[in-house]
Amino acid sequence: MSAIEVASGTLYRRTQQEMSYDLKRLILHSLTRRYKAPVRRRVLDSVDLVIERGEKVGIIGSNGSGKSTLLKVLGGILELTTGSVSIRGRIAPLIELGAGFDPDLSVEENVVYYGVLLGFTQSQMRERVARILEFAELTDRIHEPLKALSSGMTARLAFAIATDEHPDILLLDEVLSVGDQNFKGKSAARLNELWHEHCTILLVSHELTFLEAQCERIIWLQAGRIVADGHPADVIGRYKEASLGPRLVAPAPV
Amino acid sequence: MSGKFEFLHPLPWTAAQTARDRGGKPLAWGLGAASKRAGVQFIIPKTGGRWFREEGPAEAGIRRYVDLLRIIAARTLQTRYRGSVLGVFWSLSNPLLMTAVYTLIFGAAFASYYDGSILRYVFATFVGLGVLQVFSGTTSQALTSIVANGALLNKVRLPYSIFPLSTVAANFFQFSVGTFPLLAIVTLIESRNPINLLALLIPVLGLVMVVTGFSLLTSSLYVYFRDAPFLYEMAVFVIWMTSPIFYPSALVPARVHPYLALNPIVSIVSSIRQIVLSRDWPDLHLMGASLLSGCACLLVGSLAFVFMKRDFMDML
Repeated sequence: MSAIEVASGTLYRRTQQEMSYDLKRLILHSLTRRYKAPVRRRVLDSVDLVIERGEKVGIIGSNGSGKSTLLKVLGGILELTTGSVSIRGRIAPLIELGAGFDPDLSVEENVVYYGVLLGFTQSQMRERVARILEFAELTDRIHEPLKALSSGMTARLAFAIATDEHPDILLLDEVLSVGDQNFKGKSAARLNELWHEHCTILLVSHELTFLEAQCERIIWLQAGRIVADGHPADVIGRYKEASLGPRLVAPAPV
Repeated sequence: MSGKFEFLHPLPWTAAQTARDRGGKPLAWGLGAASKRAGVQFIIPKTGGRWFREEGPAEAGIRRYVDLLRIIAARTLQTRYRGSVLGVFWSLSNPLLMTAVYTLIFGAAFASYYDGSILRYVFATFVGLGVLQVFSGTTSQALTSIVANGALLNKVRLPYSIFPLSTVAANFFQFSVGTFPLLAIVTLIESRNPINLLALLIPVLGLVMVVTGFSLLTSSLYVYFRDAPFLYEMAVFVIWMTSPIFYPSALVPARVHPYLALNPIVSIVSSIRQIVLSRDWPDLHLMGASLLSGCACLLVGSLAFVFMKRDFMDML
């Protein structure tokens, strides 16, 4: 059974240039009939996607191609304008680690707080604090305020919280590029562990070598459309060709 | 911990919640009505569904909503009062000090309107200030609450309304341990009637509804219009001045009186004052008016919120 299904998913988002966040101007423009309805831009363009349970899928594409937007749609943060999304299972969104932390609270309080935001209950989180901090290697800093931690440590903490209770679907956005070499290995090991438990993983990254080694399927997005979807080596090869192409035929020496 | 694929059982939401209580997996991201037998799934309908869609994981049930409300409100109070011994009682310092100042300046002049008793002027002013303070304090904090959490909303699926509503919850918690006990004491001293103490809850409920409605309205307006605080300040000033707080309402010309009724706070202040200070039975008309005012504000605020929230994510 598929874990994720997107059927002709199209998303329009409103651009922010006309309104420029100003009530005074809005009233003035409506009075002088200069008001223009906000422009909407298409950021996802009839995306069709079926991901089976346990698949490990990498998403590639240039900046602004809609990779993160797609993850946000799957995570339920954004809603499609038309089309449908269906998700089966519990999603752990790791879209940018550390959002939702409060720098003034202690590390322990943050674990509980972040966990509740992610959908766990307070009592569940209190039970897990020790285990999470152990994985993140931050046990000795439990009572320090979060702002005393380095950004790499914060990312480690967020990763530990989000993956502690094994989710069914994991959405990762450039997660693996944070943390030191040691933690990279550790997080990759945990991802592998999740993979072997049939956890579905979607991974947005620019680290093509890593994706090619770790994923069994690659989706290439461009301008909100799926350009290619298939075998890693194949898709990544075409992607490299397309993005390196212009540079290979670089301007002739003057 | 129960089996990994427990969530795949055909559980309706209530049963799924129970499974979670037993230590099962949390089912945070599903949608109540659309949760089919295949397990947790949320189906986003074709256009039009955007209007009536419940927001965020509030879909996963009231329980989760309350959980979120509690932890966010607690965090608000915690960060606000960290390191201060008096804690939430600080909220009393503002109305007490202002009552003292108003009494010093206007007390003698206006005492004749309060049976010639300065003490009654003090009580009447304190009641008014207490109500106005919780109104303006809460709504101005709520104003920025959604925008301030915009980054979070872009990363974690949360109901937007959790931010203004947790501000309301935090402030009314503060009200219930600070201002309200004082009101209750004054009620017992002045009215000598425990029934009045119970009746006091009705206009306070009206106040909660007015504040909630305004908080929903201001927080969503600010998402679109970043100059909203400027306009809001003016609105609060108008509400402040048109509420008979430190002056007796008898001073206002009779012609202007009907317009004062447009101020949603006036009926609430009048009702609370009547209950706390008069030696009569609670006035049902005033109580009804404060409830009506609450319902109207809550309705307008919620409708505005639902209408505006469609594009929140594009503006944050």
